[in-house]
Amino acid sequence: MKLAFYPGCSLEGMANDYARSILAVFNHLDITLVEIDDWSCCGATAAHSLSEKMAVVLPARNLAAAEIMGLDIVSPCANCFNRLLFSKAMIQKKIFDVPWTVTGSIQVHDMTRFLARPDMVERIEARVRKPLKGLKVVCYYGCQMVRPPRLTGFTDYENPMTLDRLATAAGAKVLDWSYKTTCCGASIGIGRRDIQESLTARLLEKARQTGAEAVVVSCPLCQVNLDLMQRDKASGHLPVFYFTELLRLAFEAENGSAEWFRMHIADPVPLLRAKDLLL
Amino acid sequence: METTAKDRTEIESRKVSSGKRRLIGDRGSHFLKRMEGETGANIAACYQCERCTNACPVSFYMDVKPHQVIRFVQLGWREELLRSATIWVCLSCEMCTTYCPNEVAVAETILHLRSLAAQSTIAPREKQLAVFHQTFLDELQRFGRVNEAWLMAALNLKPGILKEKMRSGQLKTEIELGLTLWRKGKLKLLPKRCEAIKEIRDLYRNRQGDRS
Ligand code: SF4
Ligand code: SF4
Repeated sequence: MKLAFYPGCSLEGMANDYARSILAVFNHLDITLVEIDDWSCCGATAAHSLSEKMAVVLPARNLAAAEIMGLDIVSPCANCFNRLLFSKAMIQKKIFDVPWTVTGSIQVHDMTRFLARPDMVERIEARVRKPLKGLKVVCYYGCQMVRPPRLTGFTDYENPMTLDRLATAAGAKVLDWSYKTTCCGASIGIGRRDIQESLTARLLEKARQTGAEAVVVSCPLCQVNLDLMQRDKASGHLPVFYFTELLRLAFEAENGSAEWFRMHIADPVPLLRAKDLLL
Repeated sequence: METTAKDRTEIESRKVSSGKRRLIGDRGSHFLKRMEGETGANIAACYQCERCTNACPVSFYMDVKPHQVIRFVQLGWREELLRSATIWVCLSCEMCTTYCPNEVAVAETILHLRSLAAQSTIAPREKQLAVFHQTFLDELQRFGRVNEAWLMAALNLKPGILKEKMRSGQLKTEIELGLTLWRKGKLKLLPKRCEAIKEIRDLYRNRQGDRS
């Protein structure tokens, strides 16, 4: 199976560890990810803040490239996913002129939703060599992946389950909590850090109250936001994992290395060692 | 004394419109029609149930609450909206739109107001956020992709930003954050440039041609 991979800017910079774990996981699942050739930024929040036209045409370049490849796109970043879908929907309405041909022939998949399909979960379960027994986590989805539901197609947008299913497949104990889709505020961290920190701090506090030992995310912005909040020890210690990091750990337990987690601010290594999941 | 939700709405809207009590804006329903046309949001369907505001995670920080934004559009109060902090503070988290019983696209309306404000001569209430969005697009135009380290550096070079950050003490926090990210290898200093950067720059040249 082949998919077009649209990593997005974060995965080249702050979330480079996410990119590495994704490639490893897809490799184990025998799915070939073909990076979209010379992809460009989707414009994120800035484009749709300042110019609706740019919010449509910037992602369109990547949609067109994937159509030429003839492959469905899989997007690891919630924001990119949302922007690609938005662009695709707007192009069909023909409101703006787009310099590339986008016919809408390919699908845009959110990575968690793609991997949480029953056939994929089966594949994952078959590859797990060392289930992450005893690791108690909460899954955090954020806003861009599930909302607005008419765009994202999530029917269970109040209680999404894709990450829950994947973390469970990796053997972790997933706890239920009410803050799965409450916004973390990453988009205004620059400019109004006070607001962003109040939102992020509440999420971490609720996760702790739920009894979680770690948070599982799929969005690179959520990850760095939740992680940066814990830069001084006083604000507690709750590692924030990308779901693919957990899958990779379950797939190649004996080769697991602390090196994989060196980009984390809240260091997960002591927790994983205590649970006997890492040497 | 207890104030009901309705009182609150009235008191707050009066404050925003700077003491003057106006029932309907200069442009009357013209603004409403224009906003509806440009966003596709059925703004006139709002019956002020405040569900959007109750769902909003940052309504506390807004001067004009989400349900009031919709009301103001109905009344044609364009200036009050473009001057508000709300249009910059909104996170585009889509809680409001998702939970509106009348399918009013509240988040999209706010976003559209933000782009109107950016194109207007009105000084943005949240200058840093406004400049940030612009800087992001500038960086995108330079490289075709956005590098976080360069983005932050470029933002600090914009007029007035660094001075404001020094004054508010934000600069200290930011340096601390930057150092943490650096130590963890999360900052990449060399930006990657798209090979087809010309295609992207052409987009910028045509961006004013908006609707086809
Ligand atoms: S939820 Fe909808 S109907 Fe209710 S106040 Fe908000 S926009 Fe109006
Ligand atoms: S999109 Fe904006 S107004 Fe709507 S709930 Fe989110 S922050 Fe509030």
